[in-house]
Amino acid sequence: MPVEAPYDDRLLHRRVVGGDESALGEVYDRLSPLIFGLALRVTRDRVIAEDITQEVFLVFWERPLAYDPERGTLRAWLATIAHRRAVDHVRAEERRRVSALGPRLFEREPARLEDTVLAADEAERVRQAVTSLPDGLREAVELAYFGGRTYRQVGEELGVPEGTAKSRIRLALRRLADALAEEEV
Amino acid sequence: MDPVERLYLDAMMEDPGVPARSLRPQLLAGARARRRPAAPTAPWAEPYAGRVAAMDALLASAEDDDWSRVIVEGWTLQELVAHLAAKDGLLAASVGAPVLGPPMGATDSLGRTGDVQAYERARSPEQTRRDWRAQADALCRHLADLPPTTPATLDGMEVPVRDQILARCLETWIHTADAAQTARIRLPDPVADHIRPTADLCARLLPWTMLLSGLDGSGRTLRLTLTGDGGGEWQVPLGVEDAGPGTPDAHITADVVAFCFLLGGRGDPAEFPAELAGDLSLARDVLTTAPALSGP
Repeated sequence: MPVEAPYDDRLLHRRVVGGDESALGEVYDRLSPLIFGLALRVTRDRVIAEDITQEVFLVFWERPLAYDPERGTLRAWLATIAHRRAVDHVRAEERRRVSALGPRLFEREPARLEDTVLAADEAERVRQAVTSLPDGLREAVELAYFGGRTYRQVGEELGVPEGTAKSRIRLALRRLADALAEEEV
Repeated sequence: MDPVERLYLDAMMEDPGVPARSLRPQLLAGARARRRPAAPTAPWAEPYAGRVAAMDALLASAEDDDWSRVIVEGWTLQELVAHLAAKDGLLAASVGAPVLGPPMGATDSLGRTGDVQAYERARSPEQTRRDWRAQADALCRHLADLPPTTPATLDGMEVPVRDQILARCLETWIHTADAAQTARIRLPDPVADHIRPTADLCARLLPWTMLLSGLDGSGRTLRLTLTGDGGGEWQVPLGVEDAGPGTPDAHITADVVAFCFLLGGRGDPAEFPAELAGDLSLARDVLTTAPALSGP
């Protein structure tokens, strides 16, 4: 179920729609550490992460009606854009690196987390569900998601075969889904 | 929101990023280049400047097809924007602000609308958007130095410029909502500080809407309670020449935004969600006649 944004988000949104620059500054002050941190963690490049951070807030300013407070928090909306852009960057970099190395088998199967994780209403519950996973599962799911990594790359980083990485991610997601579904009841 | 995004966010919270504060001035400069903020103007004209900025935000998202889609009055989005520019231009002319667009011929709303629409039809939607915004911003800049009580005339109605600009605010707001509805975009309400004076104008118009509908409310008083951000309570004398409010004869309670839209001709008075008390037939008369001043 979508979560309605808190009153503060809705107020800031009204102000930004009404062309109030100082509201953009306030949104930036409040959320840029999160957005920058997120972009940095995915790209591992400060300059790129700064560019992405700028762009995310500019998108919000230029097209504020693309955000709908009835459908979620501003924090999550901005993070979605930042994450998408950061992953796009990582993937573009990788394609460039791969083509520089010459032809080789390069398969990509992006993890479809969204297919498996059930909707949860509160961030805190998801956070707790993630932290309560056993280390092996938790690392796998974080790598897949944070870096936009393939199953194979997750395997390489964890020192396990690709198939094992794949099943760990799937198991982690199933557990998360179960844990969240249980709380929903 | 996608649960995956939330999953990601929450893991992030365990390891927050380094704040990139130094980017703030750059961000604001970049923002100004991407989308103009509300024009600086007199405080009493800020509700209008805010609605202009909101309309511009909506237009920023319009695709090619959107511009030729009919919104209201049989007008396309481009023609609707030209209509707003036409009426803004008439108010500008009345207070000595620059008038943009075609040379002033007709000086009534519909005539000037026709002239500006004919002129803009030969231009691209993006040019029409720029022309409208330039006219609105020029008006705002001019109002910055004008006393709010300066008389201004639009369609033969002479009232203080403060009320004229609030009427422009309401019309811009309502047409933005019209366009948003067609585009299936949810338009957030203005901030409370902008709704409040707009609702106040609507309350003060009630004696006129009654009179224009052939009903004389002289000597009667309405207690009007408007709920929601920007709402409040008004004692409205219902005769245009009444010196002040008397003891309330009827009481209407309604949502503040819905009430402004009713005055703007949106919504059926018969179906209008409101709580009525006291003289119910008087309260119903007020609601039934409320849209009397709304036009294109």
